Amino acid sequence: MASVFSASIPQEAPGYSFNHLSSGTREHAFNPYTDNGGSTLGISGADFTIFAGDTRSTSGYNINTRYAPKLFKIGGEGPSNENARIVLSVVGFAADGNALKERLDTVVKMYKYQHGKPMTVAACAQRLSHILYSKRFFPYYVHAILGGLDEDGKGALYSYDPVGSYEREQCRAAGSASSLIMPFLDNQVNFKNQYVPGSGVGHALEQRVPEPLPRKDVEQLVKDAFTSATERQIEVGDGLQMMTITKDGIEEVYSPLKKD
Amino acid sequence: MFIARSEYDRGINTFSPEGRLFQVEYSLEAIKLGSTAIGVSTSSGVILGVEKRVTSTLLETSSVEKIVEIDRHIGCAMSGLQADARSMIEHARVECQNHAFHYGESLGTESCTQAICDLALRFGEGAEGEESIMSRPFGVALLIAGFDEDGPSLYHAEPSGTFYRYDAKAIGSGSEGAQAELQNEYHKSLTLPEAEVLVLKTLKQVMEEKLDAKNVQLASVTKDKGFRIYTDDEMADVVGRLPTN
Amino acid sequence: MDTLVARYSAPPSQHQPLDQDEQEELMEALPPLSLKFALPPIAQPSSWLRTMTDDHANPNCPIKIAHGTTTLAFRFQGGIIVATDSRATAGNWIASQTVKKVIEINNCLLGTMAGGAADCQYWLAYLGMQCRLHELRHKRRISVAAASKILANLVYSYKGYGLSMGTMCAGVTPQEGPALYYIDSDGTRLAGNLFCVGSGQTFAYGVLDAEYRYDLSENEALELGRRSILAATHRDAFSGGFINLYHVKEDGWVKHGFNDTNPIFWKTKLEKGEFSNVTADLD
Repeated sequence: MASVFSASIPQEAPGYSFNHLSSGTREHAFNPYTDNGGSTLGISGADFTIFAGDTRSTSGYNINTRYAPKLFKIGGEGPSNENARIVLSVVGFAADGNALKERLDTVVKMYKYQHGKPMTVAACAQRLSHILYSKRFFPYYVHAILGGLDEDGKGALYSYDPVGSYEREQCRAAGSASSLIMPFLDNQVNFKNQYVPGSGVGHALEQRVPEPLPRKDVEQLVKDAFTSATERQIEVGDGLQMMTITKDGIEEVYSPLKKD
Repeated sequence: MFIARSEYDRGINTFSPEGRLFQVEYSLEAIKLGSTAIGVSTSSGVILGVEKRVTSTLLETSSVEKIVEIDRHIGCAMSGLQADARSMIEHARVECQNHAFHYGESLGTESCTQAICDLALRFGEGAEGEESIMSRPFGVALLIAGFDEDGPSLYHAEPSGTFYRYDAKAIGSGSEGAQAELQNEYHKSLTLPEAEVLVLKTLKQVMEEKLDAKNVQLASVTKDKGFRIYTDDEMADVVGRLPTN
Repeated sequence: MDTLVARYSAPPSQHQPLDQDEQEELMEALPPLSLKFALPPIAQPSSWLRTMTDDHANPNCPIKIAHGTTTLAFRFQGGIIVATDSRATAGNWIASQTVKKVIEINNCLLGTMAGGAADCQYWLAYLGMQCRLHELRHKRRISVAAASKILANLVYSYKGYGLSMGTMCAGVTPQEGPALYYIDSDGTRLAGNLFCVGSGQTFAYGVLDAEYRYDLSENEALELGRRSILAATHRDAFSGGFINLYHVKEDGWVKHGFNDTNPIFWKTKLEKGEFSNVTADLD
């Protein structure tokens, strides 16, 4: 992608102080991946889990579309996945993400027929890990986040690396703006580097203990995270897709982001 | 001219004109030659009991294994050809562990029973092109007892691949008499100790030998302790509680 | 002729393309439990995988796999201490500060995670399943020696494919007493008293070797494990987060907390006067 782009730069354009990529050897390697950019995030609360993802899809510096969802309902009924209780978000290579979503969705639906009960989020989390690992030697180029409500009705969120190592967390940002959003969430959700006011100075400072945030606050955090990321990350923007899982089901909301 | 039966009872994959699979039906007969096994389900757990048929005083009774563990929460009692049960048990254990590996939860009792029954018709080729793995139907029936998130349950799996859930079920040579006895004695409010006694009492009536703590075996599946086979002391205790007559 | 020479003179680390039969044979020799892994449709899957996922060989690799870092385990008179940090890095990015690098295989066996997080998580869970099946089939608990050998044979069968793991299996069985094995993705399997694994291993060894005795008391041993990990988190950038501490005893393992390194560091410095290279002034 990069070499195609540099070839199209007009000759009379001002030169750069470094060499272009086209110099040196060019290899025609097997490259089955494209990074479609974008970012996703998930935050779990006391009785809900919120997912969000921007809807821009890029390849290189081109914007393919302004509406390509990264959030998927898993294991519901029919083509629109009604009554689903689990959400999967994928960011990275959209084709791999789609294939992964389809595969997990099929597994969750089959599970319901085979065992006569809906799959728990914990079971789905382990299954997703093994699906990712089954392509350990030809990985899905995706960062997945999975979530829903656990058996006690608490928000549950699991984050994955491309080959399936996973961990239950309070919050997680993935994708091209993860390095912008994750530090923000560390501070705002896990209260990292926040101290109890009046606990003293220096070594006497007391770490503020994290507690699950109310839904309103989390929704605002999510919006702030994405408007900020849109300002500083070229691959993030256009629209914000949000899904909130509560005991009543999944609510989906779309809101616009800057389109430049 | 052959009589209808002998013409159609050789091929295991061939229906008779009346629509019967004789080899499968014969396999059900094989179970009726087996030792009696009984299962009783209560609200707090399931009790399994078998007779051991001690054919010789030189036989080491502890080597007669007719109740086995499938997973922590599922156990099974068998009647019929013991050797056939081995591959079914192995299959069930692997299915249970595979499920735990993939889903991080234990396999439900019904799903486990279904997995065992999926194996029962593998004397023909499988639906997805699996090769046939045995030359005849199984000659063993299983009573599968489990405790999952829906509570305790007892299933009866036949060589024909069908299974049913029971409150109380007897299989094997004494099954007819025993089932009638269970029919009379079973009620929903049975406690676990009462079920232990009911199982032994029923076995006692249908056994040829005189029942003692050595020639029967009990096991239970409960929420807290999962599947466990009774120790010699526990067996002696239950036998001691049997009404004398 | 050239191809013939190339074929036999290639370095052993380079994986030769397998023809269809060889590959099938290899897949069949693998464990019988539906372990089918997708391979890319190219001649040399492992070198391709390296360019795509190995951030050490190629810092610009597109797929960054999470890596684990300092882990240690040692045997002493009271059992085995297992301690780890909790940082996972993908390239220079700290992917997580809260990774559980001690994997509970079952209630008396522990495994540790260094190298690829997914490799360790997956194969130790797989090992847990094998151990349970062994228990059901043989009616007694598996020995640590046998468990570690299952794992070693397994990763050896995938040698050259690009697995990355350095793990320790710790457990206490009636036959063996406390037993500790080191297994890595090359196929190495070693029994020993004391191991540190990961990029922070040298720093942990420094503290551990200096203070280690077999007749350590339980509290001394726990403190030594904690202090060794602390040293590694202090000097190794790829280690940090929380200190995860376990004690394996005859009747199973006991967890001794998952604690933030930062307060432990300051406590060690201010109360014991160690880390004198660091100033205590915060202004």
